[in-house]
Amino acid sequence: MIESLTVLYGALPYLLRGTLVTIVLVAGAMCLGLVVGINLAVGQVYGKRWLRNLIGIYIWFFRGVPLLVLLFLFYFGLFSLLGINLSAFTVAIIVLGLITAAYQSQIFRGAILSLPEGQLKAARALGMSDRKAIVLIILPQALRLSIPGWSNEYSIVLKDSAVAYALGVTEMMARAHFVASRTYEHLPLYFSAGLIFLILTYLGTKGLRVLEEKLRIPGYSR
Amino acid sequence: MGKRILWVLVLLLSLTLVTGVQAADKVYVNGIDANFPPFAYVDKNGNPDGFDVKALDWIANEMGFKVTHKPMDWDGIIPSLMAKKIDIIASGMSITEKRAEQVNFSIPYWKIAQVLVAKKDCGLTVDQILAKGNKIGVQRGTSEAKWMKDNLISKGKDFSLVEYDSAPLSVEDVVNGRIAAAAMDDAPAKDAARKKPVKIVGGFGMASEDFGYAIRKEDTELLSTIDEGLKRLMASPYWEELIKKYEP
Repeated sequence: MIESLTVLYGALPYLLRGTLVTIVLVAGAMCLGLVVGINLAVGQVYGKRWLRNLIGIYIWFFRGVPLLVLLFLFYFGLFSLLGINLSAFTVAIIVLGLITAAYQSQIFRGAILSLPEGQLKAARALGMSDRKAIVLIILPQALRLSIPGWSNEYSIVLKDSAVAYALGVTEMMARAHFVASRTYEHLPLYFSAGLIFLILTYLGTKGLRVLEEKLRIPGYSR
Repeated sequence: MGKRILWVLVLLLSLTLVTGVQAADKVYVNGIDANFPPFAYVDKNGNPDGFDVKALDWIANEMGFKVTHKPMDWDGIIPSLMAKKIDIIASGMSITEKRAEQVNFSIPYWKIAQVLVAKKDCGLTVDQILAKGNKIGVQRGTSEAKWMKDNLISKGKDFSLVEYDSAPLSVEDVVNGRIAAAAMDDAPAKDAARKKPVKIVGGFGMASEDFGYAIRKEDTELLSTIDEGLKRLMASPYWEELIKKYEP
């Protein structure tokens, strides 16, 4: 017991540096997913038929192929063939981001569709262009409605990020494994890794909850 | 058209990601399986350490090149070498014919035997362990995993193989009692026996293997540098020091 605690105490700085890697990985992927996801959602709701089909294929592909396969495909396949030498870390952000974009797009699409159709028509009647109406009227409301679903997606990407070690990204979970291999204290280390994930999930979802409250439109029905 | 702005944002983001990777002057990257003590692991401060890490550091210093050590997943370590993500694998890799089809190996530097590790109080012999119904643990993607499938299981031995991410994890399951024994190289087995209530039962018939450093086929210059470095290392007193320190 004492021995385990000494090992844990000694390994903590190393694990926390890995936690930082995990945080940057997840933050990067969520941002990329947000930008791409919003575009996919808008395109899928308001786009022309060919665009809707194209987006459908994108979503089908990135939701259908397992994360590990996509990581290998992009890291050893696509980027190597294109002659772009990206670091494992960058590829992990891109792949996680593109996958979460597919899932996030459906959160945003659901939110957009939940808005009364009359809003867009009213905006047009006021002389707004489609683009202006979507950016200024639809998205601000839809994104607010998307926060609860988005916090779900955050916790999923957070846990998926551990798979990035397959490419050699030494995030927190991989580091816990390294220390366990050296010290043979597997259980305490995995327990700590789980605890760190729990804390990160709590902080993230709590933060989004606060954001949700802050952004709530006064008087708007919930 | 709002979309266009967002697309520009995406492009900018991806550009910063691409340019984030700089082309620094040539430092060779050594891929290690950091779950393979005593040959490769990370020390208390999180720095790569181990017999192979220190050996290659010495060689790099002697032969005048720079090297960094990058922990990699063992499953993807040869693909990483082929895709030029790393330049060398100095991490207790057995020289096998199959691997030699893809990569070049340096001169052998260490002879390794494969052994079975069981609980300390286990009274069974090797033959009794490799009997019907028993489960044997092994690290996925290793030469011993392949050998057991090809030479024991496909020849009628009736035990089943359980594959793990790393050798230490299979030892953990020996202690848990989930598997009868774990098959692994003798050096990490000794390491395990020092840290866990397990013992080495003995060899299971697999011929001993040589460890070598793996290098891409086209990097012949690096190969001869490494070979020369290994020769000098093994002739130097530091070699004995390494062996004493890491007890492989």
